[in-house]
Amino acid sequence: MKIEFWGQEFKANLFIGIPGAFLIAVVSSMFGFGGGPFMVPLMAVGMRLPMYVIVGSSLLAIFFNTLMGTFRHYGFGNFDLIFFLIMFPGAILGGYLGPKIAKKLNPVIVKRVACVGLLILALQLLGVF
Amino acid sequence: MKNFLKYLTILMILSIFSVTVYSQTSTEKKDAEPPKESSPADKIIVQVDKNQLSGGGKIIITGKAPAGRDVYIEVWSEKTVRAARLDADPDPKTGKRPYIFYMTDEMPGFYRLILPEKYKSILEEEKAKGKKWSVSEIIKKSGADAVYGYPAKIKIDRYQTTLWESIIGSRGTKLEPMDEKENKRRSMQLLKARFRSIGNVFSSNLKIEEDGNFKASVELPANAAPGKYFVVAKVDKDLKSEPLVVQNDVSFPSVYLPNAGRTVNIFWPFLLTAAITTFGVLMGAGGGFILNPILVMLGLPHTVVAGTVMPTVLFSQGTGIYNYSRIKFINWKLGITLGIAMLLGGFIGPKLTELITLEQYKFLFGWVLIILAALMFWQTTPKYIEKNKKEQAILKEFKKRAEEAAKKKAEGGK
Repeated sequence: MKIEFWGQEFKANLFIGIPGAFLIAVVSSMFGFGGGPFMVPLMAVGMRLPMYVIVGSSLLAIFFNTLMGTFRHYGFGNFDLIFFLIMFPGAILGGYLGPKIAKKLNPVIVKRVACVGLLILALQLLGVF
Repeated sequence: MKNFLKYLTILMILSIFSVTVYSQTSTEKKDAEPPKESSPADKIIVQVDKNQLSGGGKIIITGKAPAGRDVYIEVWSEKTVRAARLDADPDPKTGKRPYIFYMTDEMPGFYRLILPEKYKSILEEEKAKGKKWSVSEIIKKSGADAVYGYPAKIKIDRYQTTLWESIIGSRGTKLEPMDEKENKRRSMQLLKARFRSIGNVFSSNLKIEEDGNFKASVELPANAAPGKYFVVAKVDKDLKSEPLVVQNDVSFPSVYLPNAGRTVNIFWPFLLTAAITTFGVLMGAGGGFILNPILVMLGLPHTVVAGTVMPTVLFSQGTGIYNYSRIKFINWKLGITLGIAMLLGGFIGPKLTELITLEQYKFLFGWVLIILAALMFWQTTPKYIEKNKKEQAILKEFKKRAEEAAKKKAEGGK
């Protein structure tokens, strides 16, 4: 598919994009997280699009998934209103504080810390320790 | 900034208000009926040391039963929760997988079957089996089959499902209700699915003296649901005590989450979410990756965690899209094309959450996190950083131009 972005034309490889986006959506709605960290590499590496095309459009694509997932979870009775109302202000507060702190930190170090943290969490989930 | 804080305060007040209102209405709604009892010749007398609890606590149960008989005590809450299980174990004879989905909304939020002390070894034996322990095995071996009462009678729906039906997101065809015996058997499996560990279903601290006096205790955890708890002592199917009622109260800042089936202090999920979302922004991935496993490990049902965390990002995604669209930084054709693929995926995923067990959820999530960690690591390699620097510079340049264009247009519009 050909797309145009600020006067430049790009070719988007949908043979990779559509199955990839579909799978990411299944997994992320199943576990209840946003698919951003997987969608961006898919579009950058798999579909060979530059970052400035990806940032906005990936968010739009993920929004579809979140919206559908929310409705479906609600329909299955997995949504707890009170729990949501407690977490929602927390999420907004975090979304406000995050960018302020981010400016003061080295992103590479943050990512390495996150990497270790995620591995520990993963091993715990897998029951290794 | 000032405006933002103002909105945040309003939002928090609103949410606290609605929490209080909602929790009040939900307590009024459900009035579980105490079970009927028969009047046998022999009597069991039972009493509790207190009828009123606040935020959980220990209840001492004492009583007297006919001498020389085994006594069992059942304790359950009036508040109910959902429990579900997909039966995909191959049939031992035919090897065929049944794919029947069992679901109930009447599982008590708290249940405990207290066995006489002498059956402690049975519990130990089952614990040694690890994840393969079975409720029915314990009940059979400890002679509790006749006294296992309350959960056996809950209404369980069952659906014949197929792989295809799961994929299109249907629960499948609803089957005829089960007979009493089958219902009882399935209720035991659902007990395990809901309560996860032996200690959450059984205990064996019931001391019985030779003269028939007995004494036991049960601990309602701080996260137990508010409302009535019923205590019944039983010797067999017909010989049982009147149900005693213990009231558990939960007061602010603790609130009961009706779908998750537990009480939480509202501050910890709030602080946890705020902290993890902040960190999520820093590492460039949503907070759900860290928040969900932690909530699941803290004991919340994985279905409720997935279904409740997901909507929290809707709002921030919506604002993000609005901000990007204002500066024309979204390619709608690309976004919507991929979005439709994701729409289909989002239709299927939540159905799968319901079908998988907690163990499978943890296992799969573990691998997702390992992939994510690998992606993160890749993003810290020198080659990537080099490339990313250039990309970010171009991104910034484009954004600047876009913002200027949007500004000009807005001024021109006036």
